Amino acid sequence: MTSVVERRETPGVGEGYPTVASHIRDWAQKLPDHVALREKDYGIWQEITWKEYWETVLDAAHGLLALGIEPGDRVSIHSEDRPEWVILDVATVAVRGITVGLYPTNPAAEVQYLLSDSGAKVHLAEDQEQADKVMEVIDSLPNLEKIIHVEPRGFREYRNDPRFIFWDDFLELGREHRKAHPGAVEQRMAEATADDVMTLVYTSGTTGPPKGAMLTNANAKYAMDLVINVEGRLPGDKKPSPDDQILTYLPLCHVAERIFSTWTNAAAGPVLNFAESIETVQQNLREIQPTLFFAVPRIWEKIHATIIIKGRDATFFKRLWFALGLKMAGFIGRERVANGGLHTWKSRIVYAIGYLFIFRALRERIGLRRCRWAGTGAAAIAPEVIQFFHGLGINLYELYGMTENSAVATVNFYGRMKLGTVGEPYPGIGLRLDPETGEIQTKHPGVFKGYWNKPDKTAEAFTEDGWLKTGDVGVWVDGTHVKIVDRIKHIIITSGGKNISPSEIENSLKTSPYVKEAMVIGDGRKYLTALIGIEFDVVGDWATRRGIPYTTYRDLSEKPEVIELIQGVIDETNKKFSRVEQIKKFRMIPKELDHEDGELTATQKLKRKAMEEMFGDLIEDMYGSDR
Amino acid sequence: MRGRPLLFTSYEADQALMPTTTKKVALTVFLVALVLVPVYDVIPFAPDFLAKDDWLKVLTNVMIFAIGALGLNILTGLAGQVSLGHAFFMGLGAYTAAALGAPEGPLVGLGLPMWIWLPAAAVVPALVGVLVGPTAVRVRGLYLAIVTLGLVFIGEYLFRNTESWTGGSQAGRTFPRFQFRFWKEEEPLVDFSRKGEWFGIELSNEAKTYILLLGFAIVATLIAKNIQRTRVGRAFQAIRDRDIAAEVMGVDEFRYKLLAFGISSAFAGVSGALLASFVGRTIPERWDLLLSVQFIAIILIGGAGTVTGTLMGALFVIALPRVVQDFTAWLSDKIDAGEGIIAKVGDVFIATSGDDFGIVNTLPGTGPGLSVFQLNLVIYGLLIIVFLIFEPLGLYGIWLRVRNYWKGWPFTY
Repeated sequence: MTSVVERRETPGVGEGYPTVASHIRDWAQKLPDHVALREKDYGIWQEITWKEYWETVLDAAHGLLALGIEPGDRVSIHSEDRPEWVILDVATVAVRGITVGLYPTNPAAEVQYLLSDSGAKVHLAEDQEQADKVMEVIDSLPNLEKIIHVEPRGFREYRNDPRFIFWDDFLELGREHRKAHPGAVEQRMAEATADDVMTLVYTSGTTGPPKGAMLTNANAKYAMDLVINVEGRLPGDKKPSPDDQILTYLPLCHVAERIFSTWTNAAAGPVLNFAESIETVQQNLREIQPTLFFAVPRIWEKIHATIIIKGRDATFFKRLWFALGLKMAGFIGRERVANGGLHTWKSRIVYAIGYLFIFRALRERIGLRRCRWAGTGAAAIAPEVIQFFHGLGINLYELYGMTENSAVATVNFYGRMKLGTVGEPYPGIGLRLDPETGEIQTKHPGVFKGYWNKPDKTAEAFTEDGWLKTGDVGVWVDGTHVKIVDRIKHIIITSGGKNISPSEIENSLKTSPYVKEAMVIGDGRKYLTALIGIEFDVVGDWATRRGIPYTTYRDLSEKPEVIELIQGVIDETNKKFSRVEQIKKFRMIPKELDHEDGELTATQKLKRKAMEEMFGDLIEDMYGSDR
Repeated sequence: MRGRPLLFTSYEADQALMPTTTKKVALTVFLVALVLVPVYDVIPFAPDFLAKDDWLKVLTNVMIFAIGALGLNILTGLAGQVSLGHAFFMGLGAYTAAALGAPEGPLVGLGLPMWIWLPAAAVVPALVGVLVGPTAVRVRGLYLAIVTLGLVFIGEYLFRNTESWTGGSQAGRTFPRFQFRFWKEEEPLVDFSRKGEWFGIELSNEAKTYILLLGFAIVATLIAKNIQRTRVGRAFQAIRDRDIAAEVMGVDEFRYKLLAFGISSAFAGVSGALLASFVGRTIPERWDLLLSVQFIAIILIGGAGTVTGTLMGALFVIALPRVVQDFTAWLSDKIDAGEGIIAKVGDVFIATSGDDFGIVNTLPGTGPGLSVFQLNLVIYGLLIIVFLIFEPLGLYGIWLRVRNYWKGWPFTY
């Protein structure tokens, strides 16, 4: 139980194990009229209070009971982030079901795999697009009984299909069930145990089909106690509270967004603000000005690029100021990074002056003016990016974890940051490096129960003495902090026998605003090469300014001027690395990578295998003459 | 949510007049500054020339024209219906006020108190506006301008020939004073037209009238702003942007166009009544095409469709003649004094004596070049052309541009 919430005296039914659902119920008791969720609809942010939130959860939970959900049954959710996502998620946990989240970008084939692998009984399809996907494969899903849809539009075709139920009707069904069986949900909640699986989080599957990691109530409680409420994570050790604002915009089926949105909301009470869509994140950020903000490196890189490019495009006088501001930010960033992320008296003076003239406005524009803690994780980030944001006065910390250990591994604590590391292990957890391979291994109550229906894969994930193998290679820095080298299977061993981490080089390339994707190749080869994908908007803008005409992505990529531009980026990166880590050649990726085409995972990570197959000729071309 | 100016959780907040504390403070300071204008001569650092009676009169005129312009802005700026008939409705308001409020005498006058004649000056023109509206609603654009132009000439003819009401051509009549009575008592409760002491401060009648009209202007601004940001205002704007699309969306074009005419005429009537009372004696020819054009100039120079712009336009257009006059007077003084670069340059433009060449003539009577009054007309015309071509949003557009420059800081977009 968190320290913030006092348990109420429960009449009648006994207390079950604390779950996400019981936390929401406690908040509804404690702060019934305080805002819990906000969603932008019809142009304004509509507010949902804790009481309304919990009442809707109860209706939905009763609805699930009416649909015959028994403990352990799976409920899948295929939707963009919206209140209905978390309401159904919490309702499922309340009736001891298991939530399965799908990425909105999952194509029909993957929907088929995920639904049949999990054996979901009730499925939520947000709108017609997602409903069409599931209907395409419905014949191979014998377990699926009911499909809830949230958007009423476009369902004329399925009007007479008894398998479909509209969200409002589903809640009405729940209300009727609630009238007939009062206390049934509370009864289920009282029976909850620590070992109940609450959710299946499917790994992104860079290799092979996705595996469903089973997270239990105990795992969730551990993650809430550590990742969210650990001492010293936030400035001034002011823990997350109902006064905090969070912008929910990353896919909720990913463990990171689940922890930093739903579970943070349940454990500590900050308001969840649902972004309209991933395209409007920058606009929504400006409106909400969140106080706690978690983003994947891709987003940080994008904000960084936006700042640089808008600054460069400004009018003369503003451009002068902006250049001065960047100089100040550079100084502040260097000072802070050298001081564990804290200001020195020098940087504080420079920041105070810069705040008046530029940083305040700049932070307001990017929506991080009131941000007191920002986090990055889920993929590697270039240290320059973190330093840049520290220079703007934003406390950006890298942290590390994975689905299988409920994201409980390491974090950079406030004032104890080391740039380039993922921080220190949380207090009291077991974390070790394999002496031979350097692989990071963890052991603590947050470690998952296993993969759903895949005992062999589960066995592979653990060492003989029961430690979780993360698959990431790390090294200790100064004996306290962990630095991630790379995924164990990504490490390149050149034909000269040198071990090279491609991620580091790739991230360095990606700090350039012109580069969106980079893949370094060289396993078993004489030298390193790279495939580069350009950032279409930025390079397009660059080309337009120079009067270079172009038509498509491919056309632009293959312009000699663009290749020259990228060569400059490569040269810049090569300066930072040793001789064996130099990129000798590169080729442009001729298309924008996409989840549906199978080059990226749902979390926008490169599928290296698929990439090597798809662009094999490009790769061979780079090594051709030397073989 | 504090400190998050873009986070709106209700449409009320989204449409709030003063969404932020900064705006509230700025507006309060501005209003206090306006109220204190008559005592600027005792406040240190204040521009004390404004407190002089002649400048107070200019400012009072600004208030009166602002009220009328707010009305025309609703019709032309919001609903997109060009009207040259504003002067007619002003005259109508003025004579309604006179008939009800002026003391009994040879001309029609019932001697009723202000709280009757001022609202009546709004209601009668509004009714007439709605009555003549249907003919105007049938046409649009240039044709509407011609129809409303006709209204001005019909009006002038009527006013000249209803002598028992208007006093007739060249003679004119007097109008009720700014006095507040409950009914027809001898001594008015509050008299704005005589100097006297308020709260221990000795104020001239100009100062009192200024404060009264400032109050009216504030009320009119609030009404205009509220019309603009509510359902009716949105319907007007929909019709302006595309009448057919508006009708498809369910906006009753006929009804809302009539409503726009009615509201606009009500503002015009009040403005006309106030203007006539302020001036005191007015001839029927006062309500002519030129007056209408002045209002068009106000909203076009200020910024069509915006309340703030309309207020800025009123200040600009009404204060401009006075500034030009002061400037030419200052310049001819310089020229008379003789030496200096200003005198040399100024001499080319200004004729200071009968045989002196100059574009502008400061001598009384006719002489070579333009009179100051004609110069003003030329400047209006030029400004309207310049603003229409280069800054369609008027003075307000310039302000927007300045504001957006800082809003976008440190970026440009």
